[in-house]
Amino acid sequence: MKILLALSRLIDGLNNLIGRNTYWLILAAVLVSAGNATIRYAFNMSSNAWLEIQWYLFSAVFLFCAGYTLLHNQHIRIDVVTGHLSKRAQAWIDIFGTLFFLLPMAVTVMWLAWPVFVDAYQRHEVSTNAGGLIVWPARLMLPAGFLLLVLQGVSELIKRVAFLRGLIPDPSEAHETPSAGEQLAEEIRRQRGDMA
Amino acid sequence: MTALIAGNMAPLMFCALIVVLLLGYPVAFSLAAIGIFFGLLGVNLGLLHPSLFQALPERIWGVMSNDTLLAVPFFTFMGLILERSGMAEDLLDTIGQLFGPMRGGLAFAVIFVGALLAATTGVVAASVISMGLISLPIMLRYGYDRRFATGVIAASGTLAQIIPPSLVLIIMADQLGKSVGDMYAGAFIPGLTLAGLYALYAIGVTVLKPSWAPALPLEARTFREANGSSGTTSLIVLFIVAVISAIAFAKYYYAADAPTDELLVVATSVGVGVAFAAAVINRLFRLSLLSRIAERVTFVLIPPLALIFLVLGTIFLGVATPTEGGAMGASGALAMALGRRRLSLALMQQAMDATAKLTTFVVFILIGARVFSLTFYGVDGHLWVEHLLTNLPGGQLGFLIVVNILIFFLAFFLDFFELAFIVIPLIGPVADKLGIDLIWFGVLLGVNMQTSFMHPPFGFALFYLRSVAPVKDYIDKATGKLTPKVTTGQIYWGAVPFVLIQVIMVTLIIAFPGLVTGGLAKKAVIDTNKIQIEVPVEEQHLPGSATGQPSEQEDAQNAFDRAAGGAPAAKPPAKVPPGSAQ
Repeated sequence: MKILLALSRLIDGLNNLIGRNTYWLILAAVLVSAGNATIRYAFNMSSNAWLEIQWYLFSAVFLFCAGYTLLHNQHIRIDVVTGHLSKRAQAWIDIFGTLFFLLPMAVTVMWLAWPVFVDAYQRHEVSTNAGGLIVWPARLMLPAGFLLLVLQGVSELIKRVAFLRGLIPDPSEAHETPSAGEQLAEEIRRQRGDMA
Repeated sequence: MTALIAGNMAPLMFCALIVVLLLGYPVAFSLAAIGIFFGLLGVNLGLLHPSLFQALPERIWGVMSNDTLLAVPFFTFMGLILERSGMAEDLLDTIGQLFGPMRGGLAFAVIFVGALLAATTGVVAASVISMGLISLPIMLRYGYDRRFATGVIAASGTLAQIIPPSLVLIIMADQLGKSVGDMYAGAFIPGLTLAGLYALYAIGVTVLKPSWAPALPLEARTFREANGSSGTTSLIVLFIVAVISAIAFAKYYYAADAPTDELLVVATSVGVGVAFAAAVINRLFRLSLLSRIAERVTFVLIPPLALIFLVLGTIFLGVATPTEGGAMGASGALAMALGRRRLSLALMQQAMDATAKLTTFVVFILIGARVFSLTFYGVDGHLWVEHLLTNLPGGQLGFLIVVNILIFFLAFFLDFFELAFIVIPLIGPVADKLGIDLIWFGVLLGVNMQTSFMHPPFGFALFYLRSVAPVKDYIDKATGKLTPKVTTGQIYWGAVPFVLIQVIMVTLIIAFPGLVTGGLAKKAVIDTNKIQIEVPVEEQHLPGSATGQPSEQEDAQNAFDRAAGGAPAAKPPAKVPPGSAQ
């Protein structure tokens, strides 16, 4: 179990590292997209490569952050029924879900997406748009993102089992950071200093 | 047994989905897993061809290269930066002072600022939290009815869901295969009407229950002239001058045949510019021609109006696609936060972090839904749903009533994103088949789903308000009086009248489709500008299409359209050789 928990920490560290570096691509996408509109309007120029970069960046964000988002328990759930159950029961649900939903689904997508990348790489596939980008890096992002998701699934599985055996505290609360709303509320309270 | 399963794959799949979703495991993965499991089952039973799964990477590829969804991170990021820029606080303070001396004035201020914030970006949480922390304490201090005060705040916050630009409308457009620009144009009048209905309710309260919404007492009015007057006359004069210059500009200087909404955008900009110039000159030369409140109101209104211009103005002028409008808005919000010295590295990181997580979970629900629908359509699930819904008595109207009631109740349990990605693809094609205009249908459902933010006990807006409303009795700093806490029951009951108003609005849209289509008719004039040209392509991608495998031709067409998007029709887009769109 100790080795497994070390593996889990390693995976968590990896996804945190990747997630925190990937989110900067949002800023890049904002600037590229605003730039595209401005340049097209001001100089009547438009480039398919720059238009395509927008969605390459977008795809990179949600694919490379898939594991990161799972680590921080931000994938949305419907918890009206099971939200009131005990922490242990919820850990069992997570174990069941990871084994029978997440892992089979993510492995299937990886399995199916890999040959598509290999094909694109070997054929040097280029976007059908004139002046478009080469395609294989985007094709590679799909299996890579799902690999990160699979890894995080394994890590979550280890943590849930360790929790049920009493080795670690509840993992679903370990990575909670204050939400944007909480940060906003705190900021307003600090500036006003007059709240109860 | 096998025959029974084979004959009822679609209903079985649907029931399995409900059971599995209620387990409380992340929706995205459950959806995809059900799709894959039933896909394998179908292949084993000989119902589906094994090559079905080969389409799966292409389905996800379609999500990746979706330009419309790119607007989701842009608008989210914009909202997160903007909410921390202090703009909302300034607006609430100033507009509260402006309307405060009237009976019910603070409620009007909340509705007005709610609508204004909704038109700059679309984050319900931010609006509700700002109002809950800034306006609610003042309302409580001066004796507003607690249910009325909390209800008006929660409801005004949810306006962000329906007034463009909102994530709801973007995703609705994407799922229904319509252009975001049209969806925006269609949602404008209903959104403003809804704000108007809230205000009407507030007026009703001031007439029937004046004690629920008293005017601010004299000592609470901070903007006063030296001679003791409120200075609003000066503001009214400034407003009239701005309106006259806008109309004059539109009449005498602008091309007579210009499209209506372009004219509207430009003329409004001129009017705002005149007011701004007057306020700046007054300030610089200390002319004292304008009252303090007139100057202050002008200055606080400029940033949101400038952002609205950056986002919606550029979209309606045809300069930017709705996605690029989001990027323009995000850049504008960054610049504004920088100008107000509120931008820090930590804030940027927080905003990007939250945006990345939201984008990821939203897109993954969509990916899950597309994997699910690959199998579901493969086993003719869409025909099953269509059969269920087209056989309803009452034709179009029967369908609309059932669907709206269904969505209304599902909204108690499901988040908007789940509704949009799971339910809309099932009912959208049926609506289309019944001859219902999909833009109108999307706006209608958008208004309906807005209630999901206000339903007790799960409504998000109520949850956010609860998180900032006082949970224990406190001493009010300004008056020194002990003020009782706001109970959860008060928040729930406060929302009820506004949920009813929402239902009335849904009925109004069904009764008077012109509320939506009126906005579209004006828009049709500038369709030559081709603000967003995804319509022909997207329609082939309607959720109903079983293959979901975009041909390369379509891709080429799509990129051509994207390159052309926003460029005036008269000038062909640069760098797109004729061969690329074959």
